[in-house]
Amino acid sequence: MTDAAVLPGGFEPLQVFVDKWALATSFERSRERETSSLAQMREFYDAFAPYLNDALAYLDRKGLAEFTPADERLMALCLSLAHVTLAVEVQGEAEAQNALLRHEMRITRSTAERAA
Amino acid sequence: MNVEAAKFRPVSNEQVAVLGTQPIPVGPYHDPDYFALEREAVFKRAWLHIGHVSELPEPGSFIVRKVEAARASILIVRGKDDVIRAFYNVCTHRGTELVAQSDGLASTFSCRYHMWTFNDHGELRGAPDFERFFLDKADCGLSKVAVDVAAGLIFINLTPEPEQTLSEFLSPLETQLEQLPCATATTFAEYLYEIDANWKLVYDNFQENYHLRFIHPRSVGTTATGPENPFGYATGFDFVGLHRKQALWMNPEHQPGPVQVSALERLVNDAMSGGYDELLANSEYFAVFPNFFMLNSPILPFSHTVFPIGPEKSRGVIRFYWRGEDDSATQRFAREYAVAATRDVHAEDRGVIEAGQRGISSGAIQHIHFQAQEALCRHFINSVDATVQAYKAEKSLGGFGA
Repeated sequence: MTDAAVLPGGFEPLQVFVDKWALATSFERSRERETSSLAQMREFYDAFAPYLNDALAYLDRKGLAEFTPADERLMALCLSLAHVTLAVEVQGEAEAQNALLRHEMRITRSTAERAA
Repeated sequence: MNVEAAKFRPVSNEQVAVLGTQPIPVGPYHDPDYFALEREAVFKRAWLHIGHVSELPEPGSFIVRKVEAARASILIVRGKDDVIRAFYNVCTHRGTELVAQSDGLASTFSCRYHMWTFNDHGELRGAPDFERFFLDKADCGLSKVAVDVAAGLIFINLTPEPEQTLSEFLSPLETQLEQLPCATATTFAEYLYEIDANWKLVYDNFQENYHLRFIHPRSVGTTATGPENPFGYATGFDFVGLHRKQALWMNPEHQPGPVQVSALERLVNDAMSGGYDELLANSEYFAVFPNFFMLNSPILPFSHTVFPIGPEKSRGVIRFYWRGEDDSATQRFAREYAVAATRDVHAEDRGVIEAGQRGISSGAIQHIHFQAQEALCRHFINSVDATVQAYKAEKSLGGFGA
């Protein structure tokens, strides 16, 4: 495991998802969902969803301004799950079709990228 | 809660028959001549939503926005005196577009062509070798555009002297819009799309619920449809001059998935702590003439503006208004989810709207049809067409002023 994939203590089992899902912008997260298979997203969802509330609680205690690079990665994984959950919990087998339609809806601004 | 009282009752056919029951001619949805009339009658006369005050956070902040429907680029500036002013983004020397950036911070604006320089009041402050012109600088200010703010939303009007103030134009919706999150928002998220469709065809999609169960079986699904209201029809319509509203029905039996619940709980909590308890229980959708929507929901506080580009081309801009930058990881996660979830719905609409345009533009049919639950679409074309016909009548009567 390279340093660039390290997550905060307690979240080590999720490190395998960092390369693919710890992305910098809402636009990139939305694109990653569009170009991923439902199976890839189910794998991420199944592994990460049980950790979500613990991850958010940990990051809330830290505070956005105090994030380390590892915290930023964990945050980015949570934000990718916000997209992926729509594929897994909502769209299901319709995800591939929805992805084609979604491609033209470009996210141009997000509060997640406006960190002070 | 009293279950009987919550039972869904649709608006009756009789209640909306006053709007007419006739088929609607397709011309206005693709004809370039009709679009040319709309440019003049609608988009150069109505108040148009163009931005949000949070885009002009401090004196010197400016934005430049294209209004293709009026073939115009508009410069909007917060002056050193904190007053918001708008101008055509056009140098008064030889008409060059003045500012190339889409936003920024500046106290003066210089034209790159011959360096004519204007201040935040639009006055010409400097022009190289100006003695060689046969002009007074005081006569060379930027062309002014009427601008005003309601509920934090910036509107412009391209009539030199608008017949109505923005408040008069929005009345009585302004006081209702002032209660919504956009009024106190300090930031927003945004996504946008271009679409090969007439602006009214695009707009219509978002003011009827008849299509929900077919186009959005999952993304809307049981949030707004259910056994007692299988089409997800509105609980009420309100026609307010050229504007209109619908009260949305929400299915109390809807069960979101576990990760969705994590996001929704935070969105609801933020809405409650923001003082929006009443809005949570009372879902309404504002359709402000000509091309602006605002959902009153404090958990999905978005606007949707449909900008015409040509007779068969438009751009949609969706913005989510939030008070304060993200204050925590959970709030950041919840806001990301709100935008992504709504984007799924709008994406599904875009494809079917373009299919509608292709069919209409083929000339295969001469009319389209609106049922009673598509009454907002009918009120909309009635409003646009009345505005266009009044303009035509005015021009045909116009003698000296024409």
